[in-house]
Amino acid sequence: MNKLLNTITLSTFLLLSHSLQADDDIFDESLEDLLSMETELKADIGSRNGAKNILESRSPIDVITSKQIKSSGLTSLTDILRYFIAGFNAPETSVADGSDHIRTFTLRGMAPDQVLVLINGKRVHTSSLLHVNGTIGRGSSNVDIDTIIPISIQKIEILRDGAAAQYGSDAIAGVINIILKGANHKNSFSIHHGRRLENDGKSLITDSFLTFPLRYDGFFNISLQAKSQEQTNRAGIDKRLEHPYVTTHAGIPDSKNLLATLNTEIAQFDNILLYSSAIINYRDSEASAFFRPSDHNEKTTLLYPNGFLPLLNAKIIDTSLTVGINGELSNEIFWDLSNVYGYNRIKYYINNSMNYSLGALSPTSFYNGSLSFSQNTTNLDLKKDFYQLKIAGGLEYRYESYKIDAGDKSSYIDGGAQGFPGYSEESDIDKDRYSYALYLDTTYLFQEGLSLEGAIRYENYSDFGSTTNLKLASDYRVVENVLLRASLSTGFRAPSLAQSNYSNIATFGGVRSGTFQPYAPISQELGAKALKAETSKHLTVGTIYKVTNSTTITIDYFLTDVNDKIILSDPQTLTQEQQHKYKVEKISCFTNAIDTRTYGIDIKLNKKIIFQNSSSLDLTLWYNYNKNRVLKNITKENSFEQIDRVENGQPKHNIKLLSRYERNKLTYQLNLNAFSNYAQVINNEKYWFEKQLITDLDISYKITNDISIAIGGNNIFDSMPNRWDGLSSKYYGYDTIKPYSRYSPFGYSGAYYYINISMEF
Amino acid sequence: MLKIILISLLLTNIYAYQLENKLKVLIIGKVAKYISWQESDEDMFIITVLRDNDENLFDDIYQNKKIKHKPVSIHYIDDITQLQKTDILYLSPSNSKKLPQILEQLKNKNIFTISDIRGFAEKGGMMQIYFASQRVKLKINLENTQQENFKIKSSLLRISDVLRGNSTNE
Repeated sequence: MNKLLNTITLSTFLLLSHSLQADDDIFDESLEDLLSMETELKADIGSRNGAKNILESRSPIDVITSKQIKSSGLTSLTDILRYFIAGFNAPETSVADGSDHIRTFTLRGMAPDQVLVLINGKRVHTSSLLHVNGTIGRGSSNVDIDTIIPISIQKIEILRDGAAAQYGSDAIAGVINIILKGANHKNSFSIHHGRRLENDGKSLITDSFLTFPLRYDGFFNISLQAKSQEQTNRAGIDKRLEHPYVTTHAGIPDSKNLLATLNTEIAQFDNILLYSSAIINYRDSEASAFFRPSDHNEKTTLLYPNGFLPLLNAKIIDTSLTVGINGELSNEIFWDLSNVYGYNRIKYYINNSMNYSLGALSPTSFYNGSLSFSQNTTNLDLKKDFYQLKIAGGLEYRYESYKIDAGDKSSYIDGGAQGFPGYSEESDIDKDRYSYALYLDTTYLFQEGLSLEGAIRYENYSDFGSTTNLKLASDYRVVENVLLRASLSTGFRAPSLAQSNYSNIATFGGVRSGTFQPYAPISQELGAKALKAETSKHLTVGTIYKVTNSTTITIDYFLTDVNDKIILSDPQTLTQEQQHKYKVEKISCFTNAIDTRTYGIDIKLNKKIIFQNSSSLDLTLWYNYNKNRVLKNITKENSFEQIDRVENGQPKHNIKLLSRYERNKLTYQLNLNAFSNYAQVINNEKYWFEKQLITDLDISYKITNDISIAIGGNNIFDSMPNRWDGLSSKYYGYDTIKPYSRYSPFGYSGAYYYINISMEF
Repeated sequence: MLKIILISLLLTNIYAYQLENKLKVLIIGKVAKYISWQESDEDMFIITVLRDNDENLFDDIYQNKKIKHKPVSIHYIDDITQLQKTDILYLSPSNSKKLPQILEQLKNKNIFTISDIRGFAEKGGMMQIYFASQRVKLKINLENTQQENFKIKSSLLRISDVLRGNSTNE
């Protein structure tokens, strides 16, 4: 029996490895053929010890190439990631204040601030916006990745694993590393125009990429994007009116964007490399609050006899500058010294509004104040290979500051401007902190196909103390084409300065409600504690099966436990005595409120078929399952809505079928994207939204070698989420202002069709 | 079961080369047919590899193979002072610090130099191999090749980036 088992096992190993050996000999290929062969996709992410073939990585890594980005027809990075990455969710919300203007995103259903974003391997700052409304990602700040121009990107690496022991805070659900184009690219220019099926949401986008070669394969690259986006409106009728009609905007906002991305490397003869990159983004975006009918307040008609629709205008500046130098010492120690400064500021204005307390003298336009966040990170990295042992390590110093500037007095006094009361002097704050870290990452290659990596990172924050995290990862090639991999790690996410210091008081329906810092006297009286870091534990186990040289299957199971996750509590009603003392009736506060568990699986099939007529078909079939559970409700005061948003607010299943067919001058890209159902809670009732299938298509034709024209569409069959099932309230309901859930993973603006002309020179 | 593990480990070592490395090594030999050396009385076509960690790959690929109708011989050296008669010298990236000294020693020896060191073609080398957008690419410094009396067929120049002049040997 034992012999039989051994024979079967051995035969399986040999069979599995056979398919690769058969087509392994390429010695007789011509030089031209060798030059046209596609090499392995490599990624720097996942280890500090150099780029690695993603099909040999110890942790699951996906790469989106510039070619894929171009043939998707998409013009924003958030949409690109949603298009290519199963389990990446980016709802399009509206009537949610600042959240309308900076899109949030999640990986594996976890929080937006549990994803670390890097550019060229360096940490990117988050935006200053805290999502405080009832959206996916409530209570968190995320990186505004739409500040990066897709045409400037060479590839995007996505590490689907915990990696805080390597990269520090936030690397819990995963890490996104955006590699900007370097040397050996052509100049390019494109113009894109599109609109929705309902003939709104028109967009006009121009992109240009200019590259200037410098000595020793150096380069200076500049990318520019100008983007004009018209709003979409899928709002329903306003039933509060005697003669109901559509009063409010519900859809993507009106926005104008100017973006620039710079990337340069200046190589010296003696192997010293100076490098720099910069992101500059200005966005002017406008979205609405709910319509105020003429009977909204007794003073409404003083300025607006027929009611009014407050329009929130966000003027956003987001910049970052990286400068660095690297080289190699005589003892072959590679060193790298870098500094990254990032800054985000949002200035809020509200137009077509009024402050009821000022009556007929109220302005109609207000400056509501601003939020800003800056981050400066300095790193010294060292790396050396000792034959099979690779050692990398370094030091990091980071300084962060967070600021709220008060708006015009008229924007916040006595209830403030309708639609979005300004930040008051009580909210005006300027806080900072610093942290330093020591880290070490070692990899030992026992032999090809068997390695062990260990990483450790110690980090000390001036506001909450220190943390040490560990990671162990290994891969073992059972036979040539079957690799097993596993990783085990701990992680953390530092409470953001915004979570620790944000405060604002607003009046809704005559009720004065405030968000207060945990250290504010009112919070202390209610028992609030200073925020501590979220901590996490990760396990990933998977396999890569290289069926042939052109077909691979990867399967990865993941489990992430997060303790002390920070959320923004529901408003609590104060006692009469407290209300009198603090002049506020309800209070919300950020707290280390829940423990969560996220687990699931990714199954991915990649196949490339080259036909006899030299056409080719690239196929990816990817299934992601993720389940989020709240294991412990620490504060016991979180509502059903808060808990359910974590557990059911996002689809648990996502299947993508990506295909690209190239023949001569034609390229077809077809993408099918299926989401499972999700739920939103309103007034303590849970409403489910059905599964959906979205189809995207891009057809591109090369007019000449350098000029292409593409037509295509996203959600071409105009799939729409179902309306609220059985809900019919003033604001939310199948037959009223907001007929769709803001949690919809593909928005609710419907089909979008476009034409794109691009040229290279 | 132990046997199976041993066999699987054995298989691992045989077929584990990366396509990038394989292409690089193959191209080092492939370009020879486009290049004319001065008269050589050697019976073998010699490729010398200066400090490379993937030595077995050269042996595996060129074992029992011919270049320019001659059997291929692969020599490995750790230091340029060990260099003997050779047709092609491949310099691995680990030689980048000593590149000026190495190239100085190769003057007037009619040795075709190939490397994947960054900026190699501009730093005095003859042919640079580099990777961009998952493709291997070639960059040839024509002046450097002419200084060593190499003639390169136009068909190779057509598929390579060609630097004309501006050779930098600072």
